[in-house]
Amino acid sequence: MTEKKKSKSKSSEGIGGGSLGEALRVPALAVLTGLIIGAIAIVASGSNVFEAYSALFIGAFGDPVRFFSGFQQLFTTGETAGLLRAIYPFTESLVTATPYIFAGLSVALGFRCGLFNIGAEGQFFIGALCSAFVGYSIVGLPAYIHLPLALLAGAAGGALWGIVPGYLKARFGAHEVVNTIMMNWIAFRLSDWLLNGPMKASGFRPVTPNIEHTAELPRFFPDPLRLNWGFILALIVAYVLYWFLFKTTLGFEIRSVGANPDAARYAGMNIIRNFVLVMALAGGLAGLAGASQVLGVDHWVGQGFSAGYGFDAIALALLGKSHPFGVVLAALLFGFLRSGATRMQSMAGVPIDIISIIQGLVIIFIAAPAIIRWLYRLKSVKVEETVLTRGWGK
Amino acid sequence: MTNVLELHGITKRFPGVLANDKIDIALREGKILALLGENGAGKSTLMNILYGLYKPDEGRIVVRGQEVDFRGPNDAIARGIGMVHQHFMLVPVMTVTENVMLGVEPTKNRFFLDKDKVAARIREISDQYGLEVDPDAYIKDLPVGIQQRVEIIKVLYRSADILILDEPTAVLTPQEVESLFKIIRSLIERGKSLIFITHKLKEVMKIADDITVLRLGRVVGSTTPQEASLDKLASMMVGREVNLVVTKKPANPQEVVMEVRNLYVRDERQNLTVKGVTFDVRKGEVLGIAGVQGNGQTELVYALTGLLPIDSGVIRLLGETIHRATPRNILERGVAHIPEDRQRHGLILSFPVHDNLVLCTYYQSPFAKGVSLQQNTIFGNAEALVKQFDIRTPSIFVNVGGLSGGNQQKVIVAREFSRPIQLLIASQPTRGLDVGSIEYIHNQIIKKRDEGTGILLVSSELDEILALSDRIAVMYKGGIMDILDAKKVDKEYLGLLMAGVHPSEPVKVDESAAPERVF
Amino acid sequence: MKKLYFALGTLLIASMILTACGGGGGAFKVAQVTDLGGIDDKSFNATAYKGIERAVAELGVEGKYLESQQQSDYAKNIQQLLDEDTDLIVTVGFLLGVDTAITAKANPDQMFAIVDYAYPDCWPGAVEGKDCGSTTELPNVLGLTFATDQAGFLAGYAAAASTKTGKVATFGGIQLPTVTIFMKGFEAGVGYYNQNMGTNVEVLGWSTADDAGSFTGNFESLDDGRSFAEAFVQEGADIIMPVAGPVGLGSAAYCKETGSCMIVGVDTDWTVSAGEYSDVILTSVLKNMDVAVFDAIKAAKEGTFKGGIYVGTLANDGVGIASVKGASAELNATLEQLRNDIISGAIKVGG
Repeated sequence: MTEKKKSKSKSSEGIGGGSLGEALRVPALAVLTGLIIGAIAIVASGSNVFEAYSALFIGAFGDPVRFFSGFQQLFTTGETAGLLRAIYPFTESLVTATPYIFAGLSVALGFRCGLFNIGAEGQFFIGALCSAFVGYSIVGLPAYIHLPLALLAGAAGGALWGIVPGYLKARFGAHEVVNTIMMNWIAFRLSDWLLNGPMKASGFRPVTPNIEHTAELPRFFPDPLRLNWGFILALIVAYVLYWFLFKTTLGFEIRSVGANPDAARYAGMNIIRNFVLVMALAGGLAGLAGASQVLGVDHWVGQGFSAGYGFDAIALALLGKSHPFGVVLAALLFGFLRSGATRMQSMAGVPIDIISIIQGLVIIFIAAPAIIRWLYRLKSVKVEETVLTRGWGK
Repeated sequence: MTNVLELHGITKRFPGVLANDKIDIALREGKILALLGENGAGKSTLMNILYGLYKPDEGRIVVRGQEVDFRGPNDAIARGIGMVHQHFMLVPVMTVTENVMLGVEPTKNRFFLDKDKVAARIREISDQYGLEVDPDAYIKDLPVGIQQRVEIIKVLYRSADILILDEPTAVLTPQEVESLFKIIRSLIERGKSLIFITHKLKEVMKIADDITVLRLGRVVGSTTPQEASLDKLASMMVGREVNLVVTKKPANPQEVVMEVRNLYVRDERQNLTVKGVTFDVRKGEVLGIAGVQGNGQTELVYALTGLLPIDSGVIRLLGETIHRATPRNILERGVAHIPEDRQRHGLILSFPVHDNLVLCTYYQSPFAKGVSLQQNTIFGNAEALVKQFDIRTPSIFVNVGGLSGGNQQKVIVAREFSRPIQLLIASQPTRGLDVGSIEYIHNQIIKKRDEGTGILLVSSELDEILALSDRIAVMYKGGIMDILDAKKVDKEYLGLLMAGVHPSEPVKVDESAAPERVF
Repeated sequence: MKKLYFALGTLLIASMILTACGGGGGAFKVAQVTDLGGIDDKSFNATAYKGIERAVAELGVEGKYLESQQQSDYAKNIQQLLDEDTDLIVTVGFLLGVDTAITAKANPDQMFAIVDYAYPDCWPGAVEGKDCGSTTELPNVLGLTFATDQAGFLAGYAAAASTKTGKVATFGGIQLPTVTIFMKGFEAGVGYYNQNMGTNVEVLGWSTADDAGSFTGNFESLDDGRSFAEAFVQEGADIIMPVAGPVGLGSAAYCKETGSCMIVGVDTDWTVSAGEYSDVILTSVLKNMDVAVFDAIKAAKEGTFKGGIYVGTLANDGVGIASVKGASAELNATLEQLRNDIISGAIKVGG
């Protein structure tokens, strides 16, 4: 009975009615359809589809043959080099997925409260710069203090960048879409200035100094494998956000405000406070995305630090239906696609932009599931009303 | 007598729902067919099929002996079928003439609109049927009853002889209902045939020639007002015996729970909509606020529950002023609120039943410990309330949006009644509900009264006000026309007050609070 | 319905099975990793790749490129090329410096060439592999740098000789050494002209003495190029050298529309690469990265590849200037003379 209760209560979390399989069916078919149409684009660009997609697969998960020989090597000689080489693509996918998870959670949290956080990109930059600053400027701290401090700085920087539009919305009713976009530009220009000025490493390059080793998120394997604790942290944060949204009174309020602000007000909830709280938390999550990228992967920040993680995050939140676990799955998908794309570009000569096209198609199909249902003649289920954001009124 | 319109075996399926199941109806020439049914009985679907908006999955539509296949409303109009929607389709900033000609603009010399011709035709129609509509008036200046006549003119202008009126009395005062009925009779005299869709039994008995009752997408029976009785129609509609009369003991009013003095409130657009309202609500009594919708009742309730700030005046709850209190503060002082728009304010449709049942108390013990929600307690609470309040739901985990209107309202009632309350503010508590649910909710309200709760009932349904109230205040244009003793009130007089007419000799003035006159 | 699923499934599985095929023969493999500008940046990524394309045509090597979309792609792209046993990896831009150095140290048998960057360039106090790429020359990395100040000097001289208002101008994208080196040479060239001719031609937008000048802050905005040009013209300049990639096209468009100024192109010959503006192109400072890349590939293929630093100069045709529009025979002769003097060391350009 309790078991049954648990599974059914999922419906309230908005990941879609019915079983898990049913919830995953449309996204899975959307990905499949995206790949099929992507195949047409690949043919049009003059490349071989099979070559391209097998490169994509191996680039994302690794080559089964290498796994096999890697294990063989390990058992016969005790050497791990082969196996490490075999798992490299898979670990890179997880590395790519890590900032996606954080940033996707940021936008998803906003959606849950009816707020459209387009500012994740700016929050990402500010988070990265803040954690980098703490990472390189403080010397001599033990790792167990330095690393949490650097992470915290990243989250705080992002949170600050989120609070501003949150407060402007709460206080003056200024729409968060406009203000988060403005905050993005401020962040971009501010980082230009910081990288060319106060935060510039000595030497001529407009980049920050490398962070101290004590601020690095430890890596699991020797170079060049970059998989680090950031990924585990992302999974933990996703679970904590799930608990927060669905098991606490604060989360209940946030979801109520998002699903029906009128009813939330009627029920005595403080809408304005929730707006500010959510924007701060969302900013913090996006800031953590930047922090995990600096502290775990790059160790320094330069121009072009992000390739639009904060914007892709909007798609991730949509794809994951604004559910933390859905976002994790969506982020993994994007991680695999992006990571596999490197090999696809290299082995099959397919422009890396094809992956953006496939991602775009997947998002369209997720956003308009009717297309997928029609294509695959699925019975239409009752449309789940997950309010993503409110219009311009009020 | 011939049938001008027949539907044979009309079936319409929506995903997961059989909206119409082999429906047969027949409209006799020059007669009024009342289509009676609760919300969700399939009336609207059927009419949309008849008007060409939906295509039936099965079945035939026969107009004057000829089978037809409607591809859209234009086909229906071409066959002489016209529809007056429940929600008017009028452009407020345009004149009557302009609204009538929308879509069928006649032109002079190919380019210029021939307004005069249309206006002349409108006068002609207006005189013929006694509609009394000025073609040059702007819609926004017209009362709701006249706007409805404009809708009727639109249909007649397009030479319809089969008229469909969808819930036409929902927005009208009793007087306006009377004149609508007069118009309907004059339409019939001039050979029109008419389908009258409603869930109001008394109107059916009064105006219909034939009655067809729908329930759950099926025709459950056809009868005539001569053969039928109110009770019989009600039980056909609901599917079981219903008691239409609310039985209640005389009220036993005690101390004042809410005092309102000279209250002024502005709506969200900053228009002054409540102007100097004064009344008291006592424990153990029902104060009914009657009035046609849109006379300030909504803003009054919002102000009392903290959803709108007040402009001036005094509200005291149990002796304390609550001008600056937040909605939560007011809730915590023991005010329950059944909101007028249950889907907008009262429920979160995308949330399951169990969450909606703790929407106001989720943060309190035993539903929360610290910040942690106590899911099992919340589930247990929901199971108990579903049983106690007879909420028909597949489970407590179903989203509330999937329940019928009546069960949605029961969720609100269950939630509001299950916490300790001193005052219940019930706004349009049975709007759009089926007879069975109305009966249930009325009994619950009276039960609360008898337990000593003060009740403020706001309703535009005069029958509801009369059935439940101990005292009746009539609101008109933001002010209270009069407060009357419900036992001695006369419906005619109430109707006049609702229309803003204040007869010189008041029948009975309540002694506890002075009537407020605004104009 | 079932059929459709089946067909799609088969398609997918088939694509997996076909994986094993493919892979190259024994051809010499060259690949480039771009920086964020991408392969069609009309600047150094594109020019460097021209060198690879030439090598494909003339030397029969296999050539390709990988585009980087963000910082973390640099290491990943290099790793991918390593994994494919690429013979020579060409990285472009100083942002790839650290990742190139780290990979090169871990893989001492792998040949690298990096455009616009030189090892060693760790500064005193910097930690190797952390703050900078390497403190020692890496035997397997060839840094390709360009003495564009030499060519900029000639362009400055030509500009000073051609100005009618007595004012010339330059501006940069971002203040980086690879940008300012053009401007330094340009200023020096103008100064040399003043000194020899006793004139007082002014340079707006850059001062080597102050190490400061005008910068748009980006390498993208054509609008910035326009407004910078407009501002300089209003201050009286009639010849402008924009060192900011495509930003300069905005300036060229302004000059063409108003007829009030001439442009000195950079990197490539703009009368070719931006032909629509050729009327207003005075000359171009050529930075022949394609030549340098081609030479590096050639050396690698022939087994004569050596790490260290290649400096493109006037002497080895690594830099140069395009023909000067409307130049008198006298000016052309002087420029030729200056060129020889710089090569011989009689004139020192650097300052």
